[in-house]
Amino acid sequence: MSEQQEPFLSVRDMHVTFGERRHRFEAVCGVSFDIRKGETFGLVGESGSGKTTIGRAILRIYPLSGGEVYFDGQRISGKIDKELDRRVTQRMQMIFQDPMASLNERAKVDYIVSEGLYNVARGISKEERERRVANALSEVGLLPEFASRFPHEFSGGQRQRIGIARALIMQPEFIVADEPISALDVSIRAQVLNLMAELQKKRGLTYLFISHDLSVMRFICDRIAVIHLGRLVELSETEELFRHPLHPYTQALLSAVPQPSPDCARRGELVAYDPSIHDYSVDQPVWTELVPGHFVLGNQKELEKYRKELK
Amino acid sequence: MSEKTENPILRVEHLDIKFNLRGKVLHAIRDVSLDLYEGETLAIVGESGSGKSVLTKAFMGLNDINGWIDHGSILYQGKDLAQYKTEKEWLTIRGREIAMVLQDPMTSLNPLKTIGAQIEEALRLHQGLRGEAAKAKTIELLNDVGITEPERRRKQYPHEFSGGMRQRVIIAIALACNPRILICDEPTTALDVTIQAQIIRLIYDLVHKLHLTAIYITHDLGVVANVADRVAVMYAGDIVEIGTSREVFYEPAHPYTWALLSSLPQLGKKGEDLYTIRGTPPNLYNEIIGDAFAPRNPQALQADFVERPPFFEITPTHKARTWLLDSRAPHIDPPKVLSRIRKLGNS
Repeated sequence: MSEQQEPFLSVRDMHVTFGERRHRFEAVCGVSFDIRKGETFGLVGESGSGKTTIGRAILRIYPLSGGEVYFDGQRISGKIDKELDRRVTQRMQMIFQDPMASLNERAKVDYIVSEGLYNVARGISKEERERRVANALSEVGLLPEFASRFPHEFSGGQRQRIGIARALIMQPEFIVADEPISALDVSIRAQVLNLMAELQKKRGLTYLFISHDLSVMRFICDRIAVIHLGRLVELSETEELFRHPLHPYTQALLSAVPQPSPDCARRGELVAYDPSIHDYSVDQPVWTELVPGHFVLGNQKELEKYRKELK
Repeated sequence: MSEKTENPILRVEHLDIKFNLRGKVLHAIRDVSLDLYEGETLAIVGESGSGKSVLTKAFMGLNDINGWIDHGSILYQGKDLAQYKTEKEWLTIRGREIAMVLQDPMTSLNPLKTIGAQIEEALRLHQGLRGEAAKAKTIELLNDVGITEPERRRKQYPHEFSGGMRQRVIIAIALACNPRILICDEPTTALDVTIQAQIIRLIYDLVHKLHLTAIYITHDLGVVANVADRVAVMYAGDIVEIGTSREVFYEPAHPYTWALLSSLPQLGKKGEDLYTIRGTPPNLYNEIIGDAFAPRNPQALQADFVERPPFFEITPTHKARTWLLDSRAPHIDPPKVLSRIRKLGNS
């Protein structure tokens, strides 16, 4: 993976604001990152950190209040023409967290999976649509005859597969997976993770993987960005992040990862993150690339300290 | 484990629980025997539908009315809870002897009452405290569970608390009953990883400080390594393996335990496939013959399909229900990825 490669998706100084005047709330404050083609980019943070908001803002579900998003060289944020909008809608898809809540209970699997086609491929015949549904279902390991059933007839893992089939049928290149396995049993998690990895290999998909659980992200992500209260605090290649976590918040997240080992679990000390340790009154923090590919947010004094830690 | 005595505080013997669903009978708990020792923390691990919640709810008479104990006994302080029928009988157990912390902190509190009122209600019912005494005890409990400014927070409503804080309030309510056994049913599944780590630590500390006996139910083996003295693995309404935490994590014996451990993403390496358990758990409407896990076990023996394996004792504390431990069985090595668990412990 060369560093000079043109980014596939580029987020520049993204701001997302909800509410008006007195109730204004800035959920995302000036976030920038690039995602390369074919990689899995992880976004990790606690509830309320704005990770889901970023994913949704990229997909144009929420409007930006500042900044830009570029996809494959084209600006896709703000006002764009209808033709581009349709193309982007087809090329970018989403997998949702809770498979129990994200499928229409009153529609058959056939309709749930093919709904997107009604927008982008209006001209196709009924037979063609059925064929594509059958293909998408078998690609995620379900039987084509499931198309005539309702969501309630399926288990959690199967429902998540339906959610993935619904994204795949659009022939996307970029998928936002928002906590796709948090609501699943451990044994089912492994199946969904394997399926996502296999589809990535086969189709060259690019993922934005949103989660609060670093143990899962280590397994699936190439690079990870850590977000805290709407700001990125650290971004790095996965193994580098696990070896040299710099920002205290990243360290706190890492210390909370459950380890399936009776001995290491008990020794591990829990690091709590206290934002008041940063003194940003005079010296404002800046987003800095300390070593190639490893970014961290800090003021000059902290960056000096981080540099020493890296050596 | 220092406080562990040889006397079980709760003894389950050959328990069978059945449910009547739309005219069909579902065999949810199949001949389970279990000893819970005073002062220990026992983790019960299994997939959804393995019966881990049904089993523990039976200790408090909380199963739905279409379920019944078909056979067996639950002995607690010389009484057989399996014979309890009326609410009046159960009220002598619920809360004051055995208390429960449920999974979802968003739904288990009353949104119309302040949290102080909800804790005081438990104090009044179970410890007979009123007025100032109840207030003082409430503040003490909130302190215990790590809620800052308890004087102010007790006057607040559940919606003013975050998920992790609500779970702390629920733990405070459970403790207000002064129970001897605390059952935690997936207490952290709905929470963030950072909050999960805090709650697990809190429960661990409280159990030791207050000399409680705890049962910790979860589907995630990664979480219980933190807290459990012993681990019981449940599958299809039966305990298939039980042992100390070290025994189950380092020397698992049942193929199902192998499969559960192997599928943990923590043990995966990027680029390799994670181990997955193929197939689905058996349908408990049907009678299960042999080892319930056999149809999903690629290395199942012929005997697994014919006869239910007995418990084979590996050490005095570690036993597993698998024919692999029979002297006639061929030797099958556990999956290689499991050696990574030991490495995690050493790193």
